[in-house]
Amino acid sequence: MITVEHIQIAAFLGAGLCVGIGAVTTGIGSGIIAGEGAYGIVKQPKANDQLFRTMLIGQAAAQTAGIFALVISMLLIYGRSDAPEGGWYKAAAYLAAGLAMGLGSIGPSLGAGYAGGQACKSIARMPKHGNAIMGNMLIGQALSQTSAIFALVVAFLLMYSIPNQPEGITVGRILVKSVGLIGAGLSIGLGTLGPGTGIGFVAGKANDSMGRFPNQKSNIMRTMFLGAAVSESTAIYSLVISFLLIFAL
Amino acid sequence: MELTLAHGIVKAAALLGAGLCMGMGALGPGVGEGFVAGKACEGIARSPENASLITRTMLVGQAVSESTGIYSLVIALLLIFSS
Amino acid sequence: MTKKKSPMMKIFIIFFVVEIALVLISGNFTKELEIGFDNGKFVFRQIESEFNLQEKITEEFQIDEYNAQHEEVKDLYGSEKLFSVFKTLSMGETPVGTFQLLRMLLIVDIVLLFMALFIRKFLAGRPSKSQLIFEMIYTMLEDFVRETLGKDKIYYTPYIVTLFIFIWICNMIGMIPIPGFMEPTRNLNVPLGLGLMAVVVVHFSAVKFKGAWKHIQEYMPHKNPLFILDIVGEVSKIVSISFRLFGNILGGAIIILVVSSLVSFVVFPVGLNLFFGVFVGTIQAFVFTMLALTYIGVEISE
Repeated sequence: MITVEHIQIAAFLGAGLCVGIGAVTTGIGSGIIAGEGAYGIVKQPKANDQLFRTMLIGQAAAQTAGIFALVISMLLIYGRSDAPEGGWYKAAAYLAAGLAMGLGSIGPSLGAGYAGGQACKSIARMPKHGNAIMGNMLIGQALSQTSAIFALVVAFLLMYSIPNQPEGITVGRILVKSVGLIGAGLSIGLGTLGPGTGIGFVAGKANDSMGRFPNQKSNIMRTMFLGAAVSESTAIYSLVISFLLIFAL
Repeated sequence: MELTLAHGIVKAAALLGAGLCMGMGALGPGVGEGFVAGKACEGIARSPENASLITRTMLVGQAVSESTGIYSLVIALLLIFSS
Repeated sequence: MTKKKSPMMKIFIIFFVVEIALVLISGNFTKELEIGFDNGKFVFRQIESEFNLQEKITEEFQIDEYNAQHEEVKDLYGSEKLFSVFKTLSMGETPVGTFQLLRMLLIVDIVLLFMALFIRKFLAGRPSKSQLIFEMIYTMLEDFVRETLGKDKIYYTPYIVTLFIFIWICNMIGMIPIPGFMEPTRNLNVPLGLGLMAVVVVHFSAVKFKGAWKHIQEYMPHKNPLFILDIVGEVSKIVSISFRLFGNILGGAIIILVVSSLVSFVVFPVGLNLFFGVFVGTIQAFVFTMLALTYIGVEISE
């Protein structure tokens, strides 16, 4: 028989995993940006202010996914209802929500970090076009965070739209539904890892090229949009599978 | 019809497998397509007169490298609906 | 020399001020602000409500289920006449979510029509500012069409421009703070329909420019059974193009709702509305349009 403690254990486990896994690459990404920024100041001491500003803004944008993970884990710790009639469904859903957002913030943070680092490098090379490069950096980072947004959506749906476990159903049925929910969390969590990193790579290369050939701005941006949009499609397949696992069972 | 325990275990394993299949399967194509698009950005900056050719090559290359992602999608759908 | 504020900046500032004023008036989020029509009278009031996140999410995103639990349909719609017409049209069975969606689509269509007539009426040799903005959008997309499809296929431009403006208005309209207003693209049916339409246009153009037999032959060059996976790839094109739009807009809506409920004051929801409404909405409309265009371009190129 399930008690309140079981649901609590699942939620706390989910919260810990969420922010624990999510913080890893958030740190790495911010570190990349800071490193490139510092190196850029060495190469181009005159662009000191601009580089410092870009570095801070880039780091803030790269930490978005980490902040999503923090929000989910706060909600898991403080914002859930501990009614025992939620049953195994709720326990599995809380654990899955933590896994989804935790794993889901790995890729986007890393990608946004790479994009920000390349932007700092480009600005050090061409301080005159700093504003255009910074705008491109922000757009690229926002594109790479869209897969983190998918993970966040699935985590919220897992936390708030799963019904309580109905009375008098067999163990087999409970097993299918709860394992299905965990599968949904894993699907979107792992599925955003690749696209997040990939889109970050696209944005980084775009920033780099913009520093080399500033007059090709519109061409580069357009290719970046298209490439990033197509790279995102596997994250969207994961989202579809997660929706199916949550709602179609 | 209610599930027996044995059937439940099989179906649960299939669902977990579906989630893992799509999750892991999306990893490779995502990074790969990103690599293609990044290099295409670089190429277009270098020789803008070939822009439409590069864009087309990029899209075809991404479509091919996405095929393993589509295989994962098919397998995941099969696991969800046929077990 | 003083630097003048650009019109874009002005729009942002007005947006900020309005949003902050709305949030301040509504105090904290256990009280809700209501603007709308009730019994034919204009209403602007605060209503007390217990903020229950679970219930709120059900109300916003699973509206049929919410109404099955609560049975207070007419409160959500204001006008009962429209609803009764819809009821007779759909022969008794009334999914409320569909009604809301159709109403929003109707509003978007009216806005589009009005915009078209308005701009057409004030076309001038020396263009006004609004005309300039639309001409800029049109020429930009026209350039993309020319680059992708070639000079002789420029007649694809109206389809592309209509697609962009329609999706853009759909994404923007949800920001208007009226109860019951939502982005039509938040419902899966709208992006799926648009994606289906785009893929049909792609294959129609391929058949038109290359011939039906050659187009089919391209799918099985070596006569092996793997062409089934190519067909799956075609279907997944529809899925990816429409779910991208749907997922982004739905995600923005959910995040704004949840964060507004967590933070009881001011600044956060405003910034989120700016980011998800203006920025992500515009980017996703652009991405959808560009993908539809390049799918056509890849299919009809030799």
